[in-house]
Amino acid sequence: MSKIWIVLIISSLVMMAIFSPGSVVGTMMEAAKMGVSMCIEFIGIYAVWMGVMQVMDDCKLSHKLSKILSRPVQYIFGKTDEETEKNICLNIASNIIGIGSASTPFGIKAMQGMDKGGEIATRGMIMLVVINSTGIQLLPTTVIGMRALAGSVSPSSILWPTIVSTFLPTILGIVLVSLFYKKSKDKLSKKSLTQTLKN
Amino acid sequence: MADLFIPILIAFVMIFALIKGVDAYSAFVKGAKGALPLMASLMPFIIAMFVAVELFRNSGLSGYLCNFLSPIFKALHIPPELCELTLIRPFSSNAAYVLLRDIYAQYGVDSYIGNCASVIVGSSDTIFYVSSIYFASTKVRKTGLTIPIALLCNVVCTIIACFCCRFI
Repeated sequence: MSKIWIVLIISSLVMMAIFSPGSVVGTMMEAAKMGVSMCIEFIGIYAVWMGVMQVMDDCKLSHKLSKILSRPVQYIFGKTDEETEKNICLNIASNIIGIGSASTPFGIKAMQGMDKGGEIATRGMIMLVVINSTGIQLLPTTVIGMRALAGSVSPSSILWPTIVSTFLPTILGIVLVSLFYKKSKDKLSKKSLTQTLKN
Repeated sequence: MADLFIPILIAFVMIFALIKGVDAYSAFVKGAKGALPLMASLMPFIIAMFVAVELFRNSGLSGYLCNFLSPIFKALHIPPELCELTLIRPFSSNAAYVLLRDIYAQYGVDSYIGNCASVIVGSSDTIFYVSSIYFASTKVRKTGLTIPIALLCNVVCTIIACFCCRFI
């Protein structure tokens, strides 16, 4: 990120120094002012959603959702230890509900659980990062808040397109990772899956 | 239809809290309390991003880049107005919010462009940030196909977003 930032700054400054050196400071101050006003808007948006999410969290909704997810997670990730599987489920569940700040610690724990000390990423790690980076949030809370403040007639009209365009690429990602990386202990994981199903 | 979803969801959560005996008021306040410190810690990053993005746009470089790339966007049926947004989305959420706010002001929040931009920002995530913090906790240095697959999914996500928004 810092590399991109410095490239953006230097290339723009060189460009502006040649064509319009007078507008540099004005642009920077105007940008900072806009940044502050957006932060103030965001305090309100975040306060409301973080409040609602805390209520969900206190009701243990993410734990309930993670239980529902455990079967598909076993299928997608293959064999992992119990602790890692629980962390993956909680990571995905908090992502879906939209508690991004809660999902990251679970994700990191799951990554560490799958880390066998090797230099090359394992299938499970790649799967988890791909699922997380395609964004599986059910409610685009920040965007809906911004739309409402921008005076939209129907801030949540974007809901179904957002859900479609977040879940289809996630499924595509899962399929691609599965195609390129074979489950390491394929037969074993199928066995354990049928065993758990029998139990 | 969509307008009903959020009120129903929040009502469902509150009723659920009531049934489970969770003190919803205290929980809401506890959660909302986190917003100010969160924004206070994010503010320097947001301002840094605003300054860089605005400089990049006012210098005209962003315009050149997007003119150069517009044939690709047209081929993928993505409005060229969304060029900057789609390019910056995988790198920084804050920068994406900067551009989103600008698009609302310029094209209107309920316009096709405004809707597309909302969906793109709402349905994707910062690939480079996520993968860097997730892999940073492990000893892995070779991430294999993680970034290519995530980027491909991101492009597909953008195409689907622009397609779906035609039907709003």
